[in-house]
Amino acid sequence: MKHATTMAAALGLAVTLAGLPALAQDEFGSKELIEAAEKEGQLTYYTANFAEVEQEVIKAFNKRFPKIKVSMVRAPGGQLITRIKTEAAAGKLAADVVDHSDRGLMKDIENLFQDYTPPNAADYRPDAMVSPKFWPGVTLGWAIAYNTALVKNAPKTWMDLTKPEYKDKQIGQVVGPSGGTTWTRIMFERQVLGEDYWKKQAALGISLFPSGAPTSDSLVRGEISIAPLLYNIIYTKIVEGAPAEAIFAPEGVPIIPYADGITKTAKNPNAAKLFMNWRLSKEGQAFAITKLGNITSLKEPPAYPKGWDPKVIKVWVPDFAQFEKLRDPWLEEWNKTYGYRQ
Amino acid sequence: MTATSAAALAEPSNAASAPRRLAAPLWVGSLLILLAFLVIYPVLMLVFGALSDSNPVVDGFGKFRPSLDHFAQVLANENVHLAFFNALLACGGGTALAVVIGLAFSWIVVRTNTPAKGFIAGASMIPLFVPPLVAGVAWGILGSPKTGLLNTAFKWIGIDWRVDFYSMAGLILVFGIYYAPYVYMFTSSALRNMDPSLEEASEVSGASAFATLFTVTFPLIAPAILAGMLLSFVVMLGIYGVPAALGAPANISVLTTYIFKLTAWSPPLYNTAAAVAILLMIVTAILVWAQQRVLVGRSFATVAGKAFRPRSLNLGPWKWFTLGLAVAYLLIVVVLPTLALTIAAFRKFMFFKDFGALFDTTQYSFVHFNSVFDNPLTMLSIWNTLKVGALTAIAGGALAFAIGYTIHRTTVPGRRSIDLLSTLPVAIPGLVIGVAYLWAWIGLPGGLYGTIWILVLAFIARFIPDTVKALSTSFLQIHKELEEASWICGSGLLDTIRRIVLPLARPGVVASMTLLFVLAIRELGSSLFLYTSDTTVMAVLLLDYYEGGNTGKTAAFSLVQTAILAVLLGITTWISRDTTRNVRFN
Repeated sequence: MKHATTMAAALGLAVTLAGLPALAQDEFGSKELIEAAEKEGQLTYYTANFAEVEQEVIKAFNKRFPKIKVSMVRAPGGQLITRIKTEAAAGKLAADVVDHSDRGLMKDIENLFQDYTPPNAADYRPDAMVSPKFWPGVTLGWAIAYNTALVKNAPKTWMDLTKPEYKDKQIGQVVGPSGGTTWTRIMFERQVLGEDYWKKQAALGISLFPSGAPTSDSLVRGEISIAPLLYNIIYTKIVEGAPAEAIFAPEGVPIIPYADGITKTAKNPNAAKLFMNWRLSKEGQAFAITKLGNITSLKEPPAYPKGWDPKVIKVWVPDFAQFEKLRDPWLEEWNKTYGYRQ
Repeated sequence: MTATSAAALAEPSNAASAPRRLAAPLWVGSLLILLAFLVIYPVLMLVFGALSDSNPVVDGFGKFRPSLDHFAQVLANENVHLAFFNALLACGGGTALAVVIGLAFSWIVVRTNTPAKGFIAGASMIPLFVPPLVAGVAWGILGSPKTGLLNTAFKWIGIDWRVDFYSMAGLILVFGIYYAPYVYMFTSSALRNMDPSLEEASEVSGASAFATLFTVTFPLIAPAILAGMLLSFVVMLGIYGVPAALGAPANISVLTTYIFKLTAWSPPLYNTAAAVAILLMIVTAILVWAQQRVLVGRSFATVAGKAFRPRSLNLGPWKWFTLGLAVAYLLIVVVLPTLALTIAAFRKFMFFKDFGALFDTTQYSFVHFNSVFDNPLTMLSIWNTLKVGALTAIAGGALAFAIGYTIHRTTVPGRRSIDLLSTLPVAIPGLVIGVAYLWAWIGLPGGLYGTIWILVLAFIARFIPDTVKALSTSFLQIHKELEEASWICGSGLLDTIRRIVLPLARPGVVASMTLLFVLAIRELGSSLFLYTSDTTVMAVLLLDYYEGGNTGKTAAFSLVQTAILAVLLGITTWISRDTTRNVRFN
């Protein structure tokens, strides 16, 4: 109880969960569900997110529900999907819960998942959903990060990243075709910041990286000074004291809602439901925002990241149909503009 | 089964009874069946994938619509041409450098009186144990153009010269120094087992030590040099970590990074990746064929029945020069990257305002180690990795010995096919073969999937070529007359293997099992598809730290991995030293 109280206070939650056990139960599921889940005592969780991050999520879940052991399998997005498909076809899908960043890929294997609705379903943005079976347990957002020891005049907007003062490989970024998260950002750049945004930025001379990890690493090391980065990648480094800072730009924060679901063949369906309920609850989302640097797809966020003024900052969610349709032709153009050989 | 069938192999055919005559085909047949299961079946899955749009497990074979579209796309894509050209350039350059370094090194260690040879020999193998990804990261820390430690140091000293490892030259250099141990391993055991009387004869005939080296010594160990060259080239072709870390920032794409892109694409294009992989296999097949053409019809037997004492060339004062070379090499290959990794592992962040900041002790702590060992997966992955590594080394070593012996010491029909089959997997990049293993083995009855045994099988299959090739040189060097002498004395085949072949080949056996252990511990591509939450291995966890952008944790965890491997290497060096000491045929 003490744990919960401290946590809730620390997170600035509106509801004092510890004082209201009955409410807490409703928030995560009925008494029967919790009992059944604890009887199962375990679940298997497949994720495309970083294992270390998800390890923290499991730890926090276990603070609330210590009797349920969560075993995790982690693989990069494309590989994870191939594995799920193959396991399912062989009748050996071990996952109870799947957490995936690419909504398009998950949509293709929708038939492997069961119907599921969390208790607070109505609190979620409809545009973050691609199927009633999938829910955004994780939502990530793009920020502008910079090395505080190197950048005197820090950028404040996305448009600042086209200024000549940041020329000559000071800016680094992840290549467009690297995956769904980056594609969301560059789609935002073109649709919101203008048709010629890429061209103006590419003219400065940009360092290209295959993924977010080496980009954030290079930023901290000072190899590059500025980079658009998923906030969660740079957030933990800032907290640990790295010479870096990240801001959310007023033109919008492109977000990536994940698609998480419970498999039809789940051996621990109740534990799976409880785990999903908790992750999607205010408590779970607030934990993800304050400890992991996530954003949320809740209409009313239970917490805000540092420097996020809800009056100024708006999230941007890609239109899912366009997200699929424009991908190939626009990426080809992006590759040409930035001189990236695919 | 092994005992009776193997026993028949070397028996004179006129003396063989009917059951014994059957034993040889039975033996070859069972090896071929085993290889078919380990190699052909997954490769067929790969070909199936390259020739269609379907996943054979998901869609079944019924939906198979053969087409050459993937090959056509791949062959017509100019980015593939460029990646192919870059790969040939980087691996060709890297191999040339690896041969120069590896050969020079094995000569210094085995054939000269250079001081501190034991230490040099041990340390020169260290690069082999460093996962390619970690090597790439370490050299990125050292040689990145703006903030690389080397450049920061140059600036501090006042030297107006900068290095840039984010380049083709950087790629070649790192490939060359990290894969030199392959050449070293092959050539040093060949040099050690070589009868020095041939060299003495050359010198007695008036040739200088230098001329002897190039006209007698190196030509005699040509199979070892070629084998080391081929293996290091092909292994480089399949490496992802180094070009990903060093090539990507300079926009240099090679085949593996291209394949990785295809598998990471949304949706992942495994079928196209399979087509690229098959092209890679064809290139490798041509190289293997070329190697065999060069070696065919020559005798490289240098271990004969006569007594010899390993010869050590007295270099006089030049021994300090060779020691200097060795020390310089060790500095570049071992000390610098290890230092970079150690700094990264203990330092909170890798940002240096200037060179002086490097010595700011407040910046150092155990924070990365603490967080690595806080993670419950760390100990689990270490334990699993050791189990998988040991099982792979033992089972794979035994299989490689059986294959190597059958290929090189017998004349049974079918041994060429065994040779070919056991060479095939070398050509397939781990990421692609990983999915082929998954496709091939997931449906097998008996619950193999989800256990560590499926990882063991995958590693044995994937590294058969490396293990067999490492053993082959030992077999090639043992003269037939030694076995014949044993048979004349009335010993059977198994007894001869146990008393003559195995002791003589033991340094090679130990070396190849060590190699297998190391490769199994490093292997990522196939682990990624076959591990489950209970069977997670170190390589998978390492990728996770890297992908999470945690240089500190990546470095800390790779130091832990290196330490484990160093202990194991120490043990195996001790074992092989002990066995070599006992083998004397005076």
